[in-house]
Amino acid sequence: MSAVARLPEIPVDAETQRRIEQFLYREARLLDDERWDDWLALMAEDIHYWMPTMENRRRADKLGAYALDRGALYNDNRLDLTRRVSRFKQPSAWAEDPPTRHAHVISGVEVYQGERTGEYVVHSSFVNYRSRVERDNDLLVGRREDLLRAVGDSFQIVRRKILMTQSVLMAKNLNTFL
Amino acid sequence: MAEPIFLIKKSDLDAGCVRRVECGGQALAVYNLGGCFYATQDGCTHATASLSEGEIIDDDCIACPVHDGTFHIPSGQAMSFPCEHALRTFKVIEQGDEVLVDLEQEADEAADAI
Amino acid sequence: MCNANDTQPRLKRRPVGRSVEHLEQLMDLEHGRMSRDVFWDRDIYEQELERIFARCWLFVAHESQIPKAGDYVSTYMGEDNVLIVRQKDGSVRGFLNTCPHRGNKVCFADLGNARQFVCNYHGWAFGIDGALKGMHASSAYEESGLDKSAHGLHPVAQIDSYRGLIFATLDPQAPSLAEYLGDFRYYLDAIFDMDEGGTEFIGGCVKSVIQCNWKFASENFVGDILHAGWTHDSGAKAMVGGPVAEVHKFPEQSYHVNFNGHGWEFNQDIVGNAATLGDKEIMKYLYVLQPKVAERLGELRSKMIGAISSCTLFPNSSFLPGQNTFRTWHPRGPGAIELHTWTFVNRNAPQAVKDAWRKGTMMTFSPSGVFEMDDGENWEYSTRTNSGFVTRQQDLYLGLGHETRLTDTGLPGNVYRGQINEANQRAFYQRWFDLMEAPSWGCVPQRDVATMEVKA
Repeated sequence: MSAVARLPEIPVDAETQRRIEQFLYREARLLDDERWDDWLALMAEDIHYWMPTMENRRRADKLGAYALDRGALYNDNRLDLTRRVSRFKQPSAWAEDPPTRHAHVISGVEVYQGERTGEYVVHSSFVNYRSRVERDNDLLVGRREDLLRAVGDSFQIVRRKILMTQSVLMAKNLNTFL
Repeated sequence: MAEPIFLIKKSDLDAGCVRRVECGGQALAVYNLGGCFYATQDGCTHATASLSEGEIIDDDCIACPVHDGTFHIPSGQAMSFPCEHALRTFKVIEQGDEVLVDLEQEADEAADAI
Repeated sequence: MCNANDTQPRLKRRPVGRSVEHLEQLMDLEHGRMSRDVFWDRDIYEQELERIFARCWLFVAHESQIPKAGDYVSTYMGEDNVLIVRQKDGSVRGFLNTCPHRGNKVCFADLGNARQFVCNYHGWAFGIDGALKGMHASSAYEESGLDKSAHGLHPVAQIDSYRGLIFATLDPQAPSLAEYLGDFRYYLDAIFDMDEGGTEFIGGCVKSVIQCNWKFASENFVGDILHAGWTHDSGAKAMVGGPVAEVHKFPEQSYHVNFNGHGWEFNQDIVGNAATLGDKEIMKYLYVLQPKVAERLGELRSKMIGAISSCTLFPNSSFLPGQNTFRTWHPRGPGAIELHTWTFVNRNAPQAVKDAWRKGTMMTFSPSGVFEMDDGENWEYSTRTNSGFVTRQQDLYLGLGHETRLTDTGLPGNVYRGQINEANQRAFYQRWFDLMEAPSWGCVPQRDVATMEVKA
């Protein structure tokens, strides 16, 4: 179920924490600015980018609210993400023209050591606000669980699990990454 | 100790099953848990309901058919919401193909629990 | 498998209300004109709830969603929340999801398995057969003489299934499901009976809200392939690296077909829709299957299994062959829908192919899907512009494909040449109008007469 197997939460040094926070804030800015290719470059070749949809089940129901083989708004590998990015860049991407204005707000960043050297388990929460044409405003709030890998003097995202609070997406589409 | 009364023939109640039996002026739920027989009061202690219409779950619990509260069959103890009060249990005596009940004694497991 | 609920008097229906006046002025389908009021007017919407949604057979579940006794899904018939529940004898029943005591919603889960449904308010407990079995503090009711047998959950009027698709109606007077689908079953078999194992739903339900009138979604899937080449250009280029096939250039091998307001536009390219998922395994699977389907259902239908096509079952369920998305557009007032979508596959397909479809369907036709992403905005603004008092007095055009009716194909239903057409849309609105005008099922004009067996 978890994008990253449960590991003991071993904290990292303050400098690593700071660098990873900066990485996530920069990622958010790339999305706000529609710098799709630069954003894609942050994804590892073996990325699994996953945003399951939420089912309302009784607590006693052991199947839980989401699972890998159930509904998802994203269940992507690198090729899938590349395809989505290529749609954004088409002149015929009507739902992006005039452009949607995005605000990706990231906070509550926690960083722990990953299973392998140079890998980090990163928790964060997000607020995504989108405004489109005159009065289309959509708010999506949730939590992310990432596996980051140190590459050169920066990082790449290897796994991302995005959990939103909504079970019925209260919007006509989801035209961004989270 | 009272005179044991005939309750049911073993061959009439399959393993994993429960049945209501009228006995000595009261309604009992009789259970066959993997070949061991048990008897409790049939009425749920929470609300009006016949436990013999419920389902045996987790090997040795009865789930009430009305609100899904559960009781531990051997001891009669209430296990889950909304059931809070234990069931009266009865000592059963197996004799050949027959199951007898002593209406004045609790099951051994219930006595142990207290 | 599904028996009609036999306790119909438990579901009360008021006599039909007064109709909005001059509905006949809303459309002149002969000349391809229709009013925008049908997408905006609140009174028309209320009448739709009564005469369309509380009357028609509506899709409520796929058999595969509720295989075991006690399995249930919570869904909607119009705005009526219903529970669809598998019974111990294998039949399926449906109930309004509301407690007969004080009206609270009984089951808050979307799906699951239940031994009983217990209302949170006063602990009224219902069996999976809907019967009231007891309540918290039951002695109080016993002292008041409450008759439990008269206070079970309210059953839907009729429930039945066709090829795994379970439908229900809230109207005891509705004709049988077989009659309601009529000859359209011939085409449904091309998808839901292409393989002897039938179909199943996989991957759960993806839900979203679109601020549009429900009919814009239904009419889009009933016959509008035309929008794809323009609306979905970006999605096609993303998935297959090129534009949508130019289907308007090849009308000879493609059709609009409709029956009782249900409509299907299709060509015979076998895999045109499936190709947009960008997965070779799916393509191979369909190409290998096609000759077997030809043996089973004949050449024409074997070429529909993943072709460029779309379908709406009147009034508000639709699907896409090949992309394998099945969806219901639940109305939420004249200006909103709640969209529920599922992925369907052949039950006998290899697991890897099923997985590819589950992923591909959501990649293309979910709120984040590269095709669906551009649909919502079109439908929202086709609806919202009509807030303009003068704007909504301006008629809309629906006139493509006049004079394309074919009478010599031997195919069931009403058949039209060329999938770039608005014949199905006109038939959809004709059915809509007929139902809106009619005070009862008996008064609905029988424009289409089934040639296939309609007895249960």
